[in-house]
Amino acid sequence: MRALIDLIVHNKHWFVFLLLEVISLVFLFSYNGYQKSVYFTTANDVVGSTYNVISGITSYLHLQEVNNELEATNEELRKEVYAMRQQLEAIQQDSTKRPQALPLRYEVLPAQVVNMTLHKATNFITINKGEADGIRPEMGVVCSRGVVGIVYMTSRHYSIVMPLLNVNSKISCRLRGSDYFGSLVWQRGYADIAYVTSVPRHAPVKKKAIVETNGYSDIFPPGLPIGVVQKIGDSPDGMSYFLRVKLFTNFPTLREVSVITNYHSSERRLLEEMAEDPARQDSVLNAQEKQKELEEKKNNLSPDTIR
Amino acid sequence: MNSIIITRVLRLLILIVLQVLVFNNIHLFGYITPLVIGYMVVCFHRNTSQTEILIWGFVTGLLFDLFSNTAGMGAASCTLIAMIQPYWLNLLAPRDSADDFTPTITTMGFWNYILYVIQQMVVLHGCFYLLDAFTLSDWFLTLLSIAGGSVLSTLIILFIELLIRGRKNITTH
Repeated sequence: MRALIDLIVHNKHWFVFLLLEVISLVFLFSYNGYQKSVYFTTANDVVGSTYNVISGITSYLHLQEVNNELEATNEELRKEVYAMRQQLEAIQQDSTKRPQALPLRYEVLPAQVVNMTLHKATNFITINKGEADGIRPEMGVVCSRGVVGIVYMTSRHYSIVMPLLNVNSKISCRLRGSDYFGSLVWQRGYADIAYVTSVPRHAPVKKKAIVETNGYSDIFPPGLPIGVVQKIGDSPDGMSYFLRVKLFTNFPTLREVSVITNYHSSERRLLEEMAEDPARQDSVLNAQEKQKELEEKKNNLSPDTIR
Repeated sequence: MNSIIITRVLRLLILIVLQVLVFNNIHLFGYITPLVIGYMVVCFHRNTSQTEILIWGFVTGLLFDLFSNTAGMGAASCTLIAMIQPYWLNLLAPRDSADDFTPTITTMGFWNYILYVIQQMVVLHGCFYLLDAFTLSDWFLTLLSIAGGSVLSTLIILFIELLIRGRKNITTH
């Protein structure tokens, strides 16, 4: 017993070492668990506000570029307003003509990037809006040039976004002008290159084709630009294309982003929740059974009536 | 005793600030990022209790993790080099040195010091980038990050040492 205690006291640094390493690894692995780790990242309010101050200072360095981007966006919006106005006039003149579909509606919330990593395998962006501003996980994030990523987790005043530049990110997309879709993934290395996988071989693919979101995922509305096809390659199994895409979003200078706060999601979620409600399923099943009974009765009756 | 702790706390704070504000933003060729926080562990004098070095290393790594969204990676790597530091220092310290010998560029000599630092840095970066990639599939990129990061951090640490100790007292034998 005494020898054992001596052994432990003599080698206590080994035990401390093992303990600390285990703690580190627990942190490392629980990091992938969802909101548990909010307090241990830059979404933490203390660290977040520190970064807010830092980025307040560094943002001056990028003002010129941000201005240029805003100018470009303004120009585009102006064009769009003009086109819309013309359309509106056309519609008002002809009262029998109706718009073909409901216009897509989504609201955006502007936010600033306060911290970002670009050169790791799993990169994250911290933005300075959080739950208090209505941001929830799995909302889409865009900038004036294109898609940025998806909100990963939120705290009260900050959120962490999983950008396209994350090996775990996978975004459903399509080629503009065709309905063939694929998924956009990223491989560690370059901050402006991503890859589209699983586009079928028979799809017409051209260089310089624009890759945009398709509306399937319910996170982004359809038609938001992601990037442009730079090189057409084959996937390892030869069954589909593997397209190298140059991203529109300039991540190293990214500062102003917008979070899409209400694109369809709530309505769809409500519907899906209703569908999962067991009470409702029961009532639907009952209704179906009644329907069957009625049909059977009818079937039994109908031969008589014919006769 | 107190002055040692104050020096260490100050060194820790300065290193964290430098690492977070400056060195985390260096991405040489897109993948080389130096982890200068390792300097914290490099500085401990001989016969410091190992538990003490371990705890300092762990705290350094943890603070770094907080600010760079790398939960656990920095802490694990810094604890690892804190474990190795005393053995390696014993191996490379001059024969006639005192019991509480402090490893600096002036006391160890230029080349011995480089050998001492680069070993620590290779272990630190090796552990960190392997945990970051967590796969051996793009091993070449990981290897480049480890090698590049180690060399760059060693150069930065040498530069810091030269700044602090002055250039005059260095022996190159």
